[in-house]
Amino acid sequence: MRNYNKISGEQIPLPLRDQNNDDKIIHIQKLNKSFGENHVLRGVDLKLNKGENIVVLGKSGSGKSILIKCIAGLVRYDSGSVKVLGNEIKELTSAQLDDLRVKIGFVFQSSALYDSMTVRKNLEFPLRRHQLKLNQHEILEIVESTLQDVGLLHAIDLMPSELSGGMRKRIGLARALVLNPEIVLYDEPTTGLDPITSKEITNLMLNTKKKYNTSSIIISHDMHCAKLTSDRVVVLSDGICYAEGTFDELQKSKDPIIHSFFI
Amino acid sequence: MQKKDTPGLISLLPKGLTSFFEEVGDTSRFAARFLREIWFPPYEFKEVLRQSYEIGYRSLPLVGITSFIIGLVLTLQSRPTLAEFGAESWLPAMVGVSILREIGPVITALICAGKIGSSIGAEIGSMKVTEQIDAMEVSGTNPFKYIVVSRIVATTLMIPLLVIIGDAIALYGSYLAVNINDKVSLTLFFEQVFQKVEFSDLIPSVIKSVFFGFCIGLIGTYKGYHTKKGTEGVGRSANSAVVISSLLIFIIDLVAVQITSFLGLI
Repeated sequence: MRNYNKISGEQIPLPLRDQNNDDKIIHIQKLNKSFGENHVLRGVDLKLNKGENIVVLGKSGSGKSILIKCIAGLVRYDSGSVKVLGNEIKELTSAQLDDLRVKIGFVFQSSALYDSMTVRKNLEFPLRRHQLKLNQHEILEIVESTLQDVGLLHAIDLMPSELSGGMRKRIGLARALVLNPEIVLYDEPTTGLDPITSKEITNLMLNTKKKYNTSSIIISHDMHCAKLTSDRVVVLSDGICYAEGTFDELQKSKDPIIHSFFI
Repeated sequence: MQKKDTPGLISLLPKGLTSFFEEVGDTSRFAARFLREIWFPPYEFKEVLRQSYEIGYRSLPLVGITSFIIGLVLTLQSRPTLAEFGAESWLPAMVGVSILREIGPVITALICAGKIGSSIGAEIGSMKVTEQIDAMEVSGTNPFKYIVVSRIVATTLMIPLLVIIGDAIALYGSYLAVNINDKVSLTLFFEQVFQKVEFSDLIPSVIKSVFFGFCIGLIGTYKGYHTKKGTEGVGRSANSAVVISSLLIFIIDLVAVQITSFLGLI
């Protein structure tokens, strides 16, 4: 496992609070978020433990993506508490938030690769921008080993427009992993992919958890992916965490809302 | 006791007018944010250089060809009128003053509003709808600085340069047009031009070009940064960036003429 402080010999300038004593990597309490009249999140409570994968299920527009964007500090929430590695997101300065984001990998629904950059530059971007003080050789080593992990080292000099949908997802995942994060947030990682590529991405997520020892929140509609990757499943409905349990527990539920996801 | 709602002044305005004022307010806030953030590190010098190359160097062929044709056509069309008064010898000076004071800056700015404004609006708009701006933020980058500030700085610096180069090319086009009917050396042509042109003609036009550049960058980035409704919104952003910045170019030009006239520079 890579450790940037060891490589660079540098300490992160603004100290974040150390890992909280218990196993909670992410602790969300009574989270509220509205967009005008649209009250998307109405008191969401969620805990992510170390080494755990949580799959969040919910209808389109139920606020799943907003939930993980609140965790990454991309969306400012109205009220409640979002603690990531013991740090209350709302209270962090932008410099502290940047430091915290080194520990969070975000895999976007649309992959969000920078169109004007090659795959290499896409992966180098977070390494250079997070002020990790790595030299060119170290950066190249990290980029190549991460691309190797997702099986796309040969695509290093391609532009995003030259990649297939599955390849883009893999590169998106590689970019999230390049900083060796403790937490990975997946926003519908298999949406828009054919079943075979979907399975490949699901396996890649499982391998990622093993190799990088990450804890993840996975937003997904893909029940096959949810079954394989989840330690716990949370159902988001009407802006709250409606139900929570293992995949098998929820699959057996007679509740019509929960049951509708498993048909 | 519940307070009875009374309609405010704003609610009495037509919806279109309200959204116009909202848009003006949002754009002003966006401009104020630019003016606030430009002074503080980190400075995105590399990105400013890259954008200057994209915006300046890549617009040069279009600006050059258009300016050349404008200089040529303006001279050919003005010649018969001046010939009626036997004043063909004034042609270089008249065309020179027209190009340097007014036609050069405005035509170049309008061309750039079309080419650069639309490309900035569409590029940032597609970055927005494909979450690239969010991805940038989680990568420890201030997207406003990296995307917006760098582009506005680049347009503000590059448009005046393009105007100056465009003016020179337009004057060369004019020189060729003069030589269709007369035989005038390049030295004599430019001597005649600069007999009537002073620094007080050049400075205001360069200053207004700076504002043209700022306005093209500002509107393009604002429209792109606030793109909504997916790919349809990208097209709309690109389109409105061109329309609004073109309109603003004329308004700035009008204000600039009033100011230079007030200062006695005309």
